[in-house]
Amino acid sequence: MFQTVMASLNEGFLKTLEIFVLTLLGAFPLGLIICFGSTSQFRLLKYPVKLIVWCVRGTPLMLQLLIIYYGPGLILGNNWWGNGSSGRFTAAIVAFIINYACYFSEIYRGGIEGVPKGQYEAGQVLGMTKSQIFFKVIFLQVIKRIIPPMGNEIITLVKDTSLARVIAVYEIIWSGQAFIKSSGLIWPLFFTGVYYLLFSGILTLLLGRLEKKLEFFRV
Amino acid sequence: MKKLTVLMLIFVLAIGCLTACSQPATEAESDLAYVQDKGALVVGITDFAPMDYKDESGKWIGFDADMATAFAEYLGVEVEFMEIEWDNKIMELDSKALDCVWNGMTLTDEVLNSMECSNAYCDNAQVVVVPVAEADKYQDIDSVSALNFAVESGSAGEIAVNDLGYPCTAVQSQSSALMEVAAGTADACVIDLLMAGAMIGEGTSYPDLTHTVALNSEKYGVGFRKGSDLAAELNKFFAEYYADGSMLELAKTYGVQESVIAQ
Repeated sequence: MFQTVMASLNEGFLKTLEIFVLTLLGAFPLGLIICFGSTSQFRLLKYPVKLIVWCVRGTPLMLQLLIIYYGPGLILGNNWWGNGSSGRFTAAIVAFIINYACYFSEIYRGGIEGVPKGQYEAGQVLGMTKSQIFFKVIFLQVIKRIIPPMGNEIITLVKDTSLARVIAVYEIIWSGQAFIKSSGLIWPLFFTGVYYLLFSGILTLLLGRLEKKLEFFRV
Repeated sequence: MKKLTVLMLIFVLAIGCLTACSQPATEAESDLAYVQDKGALVVGITDFAPMDYKDESGKWIGFDADMATAFAEYLGVEVEFMEIEWDNKIMELDSKALDCVWNGMTLTDEVLNSMECSNAYCDNAQVVVVPVAEADKYQDIDSVSALNFAVESGSAGEIAVNDLGYPCTAVQSQSSALMEVAAGTADACVIDLLMAGAMIGEGTSYPDLTHTVALNSEKYGVGFRKGSDLAAELNKFFAEYYADGSMLELAKTYGVQESVIAQ
């Protein structure tokens, strides 16, 4: 029995990892784009983007998952995600990426606005273009500044992946809970906590290392 | 660079607006044709022995699962089982993520109002579950009136307890209701008789629990999208399936022959 449980929990954890990795891969760049939008001088762009960020940050992720997966079929009469598990998984990833990108965009904004003006001016004096200044001078300083708040969000994401179960994405909590129904076993559900703890422990160590690596310069 | 970002963002927003404004697809066609056209009947279930559960090889079996497979065969399509969050079953059906829910579903007024249901095919009851040590005290319906019940939110058990006017706490699932009793956070819980048979007693995590009073009797049916012609098709199938004795034979395999309703 122990082996069956572990095999099933491992499978669930793999799904959790997939959600985690794909969300970060999507949300890091999308967050930066949203950040450019919300800090843009162009009002027609700035305010709609701010409205979206407000909506996404102002509603629970669980609700967003339900809207994104069931919405197309219920409102438009066209379930473009398809019937199978892959459609559910894709919908979950889309919801997670949008949600986390909005949070990340605000973290990026804080990081970018925290870089002293002198850094831009120095770049201009050297005759660099605006994009050169941003990517060659500012961006690394931003990364250094945002690691602690990003780390916070990343650790939160580890646990938020469990919300995907509302649209029947079989992540680790689902796998653990399944044993209560099928075999009357309670411990697998609580044992999933060990996976979360180990994983967030590893992430904390990695983030700490990254912070150390960037210590070679002071902002 | 900035212009490029602006353009990209406008593009993203434009797509958002387009999707939001696009017209709902026309929806007059028959559900039967829709299912036969895509070649698969997607059946929403939960892990619920002996109706729907996995055998050792991971295949879905059970009284409901086997009948769903036979029904799909009758329609000439493949069967696909999808384990879902039970609370979302109506959204799952209406958004066409599923074609039917077939999982020992009690035919309550709410279910009949929100779904197109088949004829009842199986009997069930809602029973009170208490610790074995106290079972003697709670053998009739009046003796349990002062207990603090845990029930599954939206379940037939919750309705039964509310009808009696007894205090209760709604929790997420029947299994969490059991956990409440085991943990002592509730005095008793009300769950399906068929489920109680599979989940409590010797050899489970709840050897110290037992079921006593039956609060009501009820019937199981299969749910389809509101207005679906598949429900009528299933009734036809049930009639044939019962007439040739297959339904009873299948029920015997899973030990539910006494609950089967004649079609």
